[in-house]
Amino acid sequence: MDTAVRSGRTARPRRSWFERTFITPRAARITAPVLFLAAWQLIAPMIPSAILPMPAEVAEAMWEQLRDGTLVEAFSVSLLRLAIGFSMALVVGSVVGLAMGLSPRIEAMLHDFVVVGLTFPYLIWGLLVAMWFGYGWIGPVLVVFIAGLPYVILNMSEGVHDVSKELRDMAAAYEVPRDRELRHLVIPSLSPFFFASLRYGLANGWKGLILAEVFASTSGAGWHITSMRDYGDFAGVVGFAIYFALFSIVVERLVFGRLSRRVFRWRPSLAREMAEPPELTI
Amino acid sequence: MATQDVEAAAPPVRIDTEGDGPAPERPRRRRYLLWRIAGYVLFIGAWALVSSLTEPYILPSPLEVLREMGEVVRRDDFWINVSATLRHLAIGFTIAFVLGTTIGIAMGRSAYWDAFFRDYVMLTLTTPGLVFALICVMIFGLLGIGPIVAIVLTSFPHITVNVVEGVRAIPRDLMDMASAYGVDRRTRIRHIVLPAIAPFLFTAIRYGFAIAWKITALTELFGQTDGVGIQIRVEFLFFDIAGVLAWAFFLVGFALVMERFVLQRLERRFFRWRPKAFA
Repeated sequence: MDTAVRSGRTARPRRSWFERTFITPRAARITAPVLFLAAWQLIAPMIPSAILPMPAEVAEAMWEQLRDGTLVEAFSVSLLRLAIGFSMALVVGSVVGLAMGLSPRIEAMLHDFVVVGLTFPYLIWGLLVAMWFGYGWIGPVLVVFIAGLPYVILNMSEGVHDVSKELRDMAAAYEVPRDRELRHLVIPSLSPFFFASLRYGLANGWKGLILAEVFASTSGAGWHITSMRDYGDFAGVVGFAIYFALFSIVVERLVFGRLSRRVFRWRPSLAREMAEPPELTI
Repeated sequence: MATQDVEAAAPPVRIDTEGDGPAPERPRRRRYLLWRIAGYVLFIGAWALVSSLTEPYILPSPLEVLREMGEVVRRDDFWINVSATLRHLAIGFTIAFVLGTTIGIAMGRSAYWDAFFRDYVMLTLTTPGLVFALICVMIFGLLGIGPIVAIVLTSFPHITVNVVEGVRAIPRDLMDMASAYGVDRRTRIRHIVLPAIAPFLFTAIRYGFAIAWKITALTELFGQTDGVGIQIRVEFLFFDIAGVLAWAFFLVGFALVMERFVLQRLERRFFRWRPKAFA
């Protein structure tokens, strides 16, 4: 995202040392969190301290969570649930999505349900699975499945629509063998959609999971942060929230950024777009 | 249609997955209307079948949920709670829109502000809403503005990302030409800038709204004395599945009606002048 103001101003006034060092995009990425911390430090004492913990207290709580292993344990339980639920969503969603892409009848039948599935709040799913299955693994895993499914279905069916009709006709006319057609035509044009379904499905599965864990389990990251709040450990809650934020930045920046650049080496423009932050739900 | 316009500017993948608000729209094919109805019949049939096989409190039948919805509407506090939620939503979303648009314009125009806000925007898009709901309830719950702060914090980035795209879609060549011909600022904004970013603004509103109503219910559930969220919590604590489902359908119905009949209509009205070729 190079958004340097590309206006035609060529003769700029010389910038001072201060401006050259601190008013640059690179510095801004550090200035922003530093300013945030400073504001927090200043504002926190004005609000009753039991409610808004000071940065130092939060740092201590974060260190404690890291040291005694609660952080690693909570996240690893959640990630395992995410993996199980989302693999199921990927399998079922791909089949249903391909069917919808290939047959307009099936699409007409299921389209509205996919739309409602996208809109249905995860909060409600979390409450329902809690009432149906109680505490445990079934509820959270099921919510991951439900949350990820519509994204996989939509992307896969769109992917099928996107395979160029002309190229497929041409492949048929030149009697290109089925496996080569699949390898060189269908899979390459499906792959961005598959990648998108991974990315959006996982992100939303994660959000659904965290909510479901609050109501339908006694382990995992979502349950952990809520229980700290119930015990009045406010520094712990804020610290854990920061871990959540760091986790999303790491996943977005390192995993998806790298991966999309690798997968779409042959389509550089797409790779850049895929590395951009997506629009996601709660 | 404005969404199509956005599609032209963005890669296919991004728009095709457009989350919970805007549904991918295809020409209504009457030919398949029967199949569509069949889908509904199958769904309701399956639901009724499962509910007849299980205990009634596990999965109430569709009819029971409908009856429950009628009952919920007749309750004294229904409108009190709904209006509390709508108030939170209206205030929070208005602030989020102003803030999101301002930051979006800044980010679209300057590399500095882009770098400044980018991490925060990305982080909010992917961090679970629960985290924001808990923190906002914790800090602002006593002041009664928890939901409003949560709405602002979580939905403004969705508005921002779209506004940024819009600012970048302003045609550079037209702006250059306008300045070469000495077109005044007001005319430039009215005839070049606004038409270019308007579709993105509409998308921004739809995305932001789709997030906002969910976070409202969530935050209310965790620490508010009025609002739809707290009602859902009460139903949950009483183990009333029909009640939870009734509220869920109200919420989803409200969101779909807003999306389909209010926002999309408005958008279509707004872009009537646009010739079909660009639509």
